[in-house]
Amino acid sequence: MSFLKKSPWIIHYDGSSCNGCDIEVLACLTPVYDVERLGIINTGNPKHADIFLVTGSVNEQNKEVIQNIYNQMPSPKVVVAVGICACSGGIFAECYNVSGGVDKIIPVDVYVPGCAARPESIIDGVAKSLAILEAKQKKLKSMEDGLEKMEIMMASISDAPEILALQKLAYQSEAEIYNDFSLRPLTQTLAEMKEDFQSKVFLKAVINDTIVGSVRAYMEGDSCHIKRLIVNPIYQNLGIGKKLMAEIENHFSSAKRFEVFTGNKSKRNIYFYHKLGFKEFKCEKVSEKRDRLYFEKIIEVKHD
Amino acid sequence: MKILILAFVYLFGAPLLGGLISGLDRKITARLQGRVGPPVWQPFFDVLKLMEKENLVVRRSQNFYIAFFLVLIIFTGGLFFTGEDILLVIFALTLAGIFFVLGGYKTSSPYSFIGAQRELLQMMSYEPAVILAAVGMYMVTKSFYVADIFFFDKPLYLYLPGILISFIFILAIKFRKSPFDLSMSHHAHQELVKGITTEFSGKTLGLIEIAHWYENAFILGFVYLFFASNALLAVIATLGIYFFVIVVDSVFARAKWQMTLVTSWAIALIFGLGNIIILHFFKG
Repeated sequence: MSFLKKSPWIIHYDGSSCNGCDIEVLACLTPVYDVERLGIINTGNPKHADIFLVTGSVNEQNKEVIQNIYNQMPSPKVVVAVGICACSGGIFAECYNVSGGVDKIIPVDVYVPGCAARPESIIDGVAKSLAILEAKQKKLKSMEDGLEKMEIMMASISDAPEILALQKLAYQSEAEIYNDFSLRPLTQTLAEMKEDFQSKVFLKAVINDTIVGSVRAYMEGDSCHIKRLIVNPIYQNLGIGKKLMAEIENHFSSAKRFEVFTGNKSKRNIYFYHKLGFKEFKCEKVSEKRDRLYFEKIIEVKHD
Repeated sequence: MKILILAFVYLFGAPLLGGLISGLDRKITARLQGRVGPPVWQPFFDVLKLMEKENLVVRRSQNFYIAFFLVLIIFTGGLFFTGEDILLVIFALTLAGIFFVLGGYKTSSPYSFIGAQRELLQMMSYEPAVILAAVGMYMVTKSFYVADIFFFDKPLYLYLPGILISFIFILAIKFRKSPFDLSMSHHAHQELVKGITTEFSGKTLGLIEIAHWYENAFILGFVYLFFASNALLAVIATLGIYFFVIVVDSVFARAKWQMTLVTSWAIALIFGLGNIIILHFFKG
């Protein structure tokens, strides 16, 4: 059995609301409602939290804050949008600086409507989110257990949305290294991705029907260009990337030369490619923030 | 053989006792505030849940320090409950604390940084009272061994009332209770987010919690020593003192570090050292 249900710890964040919902969240902690009897604690630290309660709409100022808090929470985690502003933007939805509900920024699991949401309905929302939390934990567990059952296969164009979502997740750490969120992989649209499918070969690593990694490549003359090796952050350092690389090299076994590139500050990628036998041969300036390092691996033809 | 059994009982009994006591603590605190409060086994649920969570780290080495913290806390309690030298127990406790502080420093978060500094100040604050307690016990029983002190036939608290007072005073620090829960607390004081434990999550946070249970069991054992000549009185007094600490915790806000340091040193010097000086002249 899972103990997540027995001890959900909460972090609450108030976006641009009137504070009404926020006060109601705090009212849940008072002797009248006393959520601690259900094991719920208001932690105030994202790294200790399981449930993220957001009140108020998202605006240009707090976008990054919400994203940051969400990223810092250890999984499994759920998000509960409390109050109509957090659900959809409410009466502020049309404001020039308001992006709308919380689901514009991070995935929301439970919506608690109301203006302001009553403490009873907030507690109800949290209780509902517990079931989702448990389901997420089960999924994570089954994915972990399924690592041996991982399969690598060709991806089809119907996988494009899932691979795109994974790509945006996997490139977060890169964007943070260079403090540049305009990286191409992060801004790619679904249409562009589908175009990619016409010109490149896509491989996907699948665990229990979920794509956890992908890589793409194309031939140009004798050399094979490998692009965008992505692995779900949870499954990094488990050898999935290495298997994907081996598989794609296998696929283009006619190639005399393989080429990849990565940013100059991405130490882990550089280490990874070195380990796979790639050597640097070129450095190119892309922008003020980063240089691009090119790696190559030349396949020696055996003379027997 | 006897020591082995003792150690074994301690290894499994202490976290159970410590966890149950901290569950009772949360229940009593809730009742003092007019709330229903969580079930008594809530701390166990919390730790079991933390074991299921992802372990996010800033640096992997931070978890290594916490593992050492836990091992050394277990070692401290082990020495204590098998009746070894009380001075060695105190040194092991300090070393364990230092590893906790190093873990806090390792994460490079400003919050855990200040938390770690406060943890050091707290250690400085409680150390005199603990050392004086050991010295006082030695003066009465003529032995530093916990076993000898435990089986001493006269009531220690009658000889060492001042030392007992200074020890009760620093209990708030050791149990991480208000007003001296500067480095971290289990309550909603969020001025430092979660202080020294800010950057620990998942399993490692669970280990910190388990270490805290062992520590609780050890400290209550230390309080027990003052009353050890009469087992019934000792249990009642130990639980009574723990209840007193909980009440104080519910009443007070968090103090500043200056106040923590000055008051705990002043009380240790006036009551603790005063007690020893008087003891010296009367027993001399």
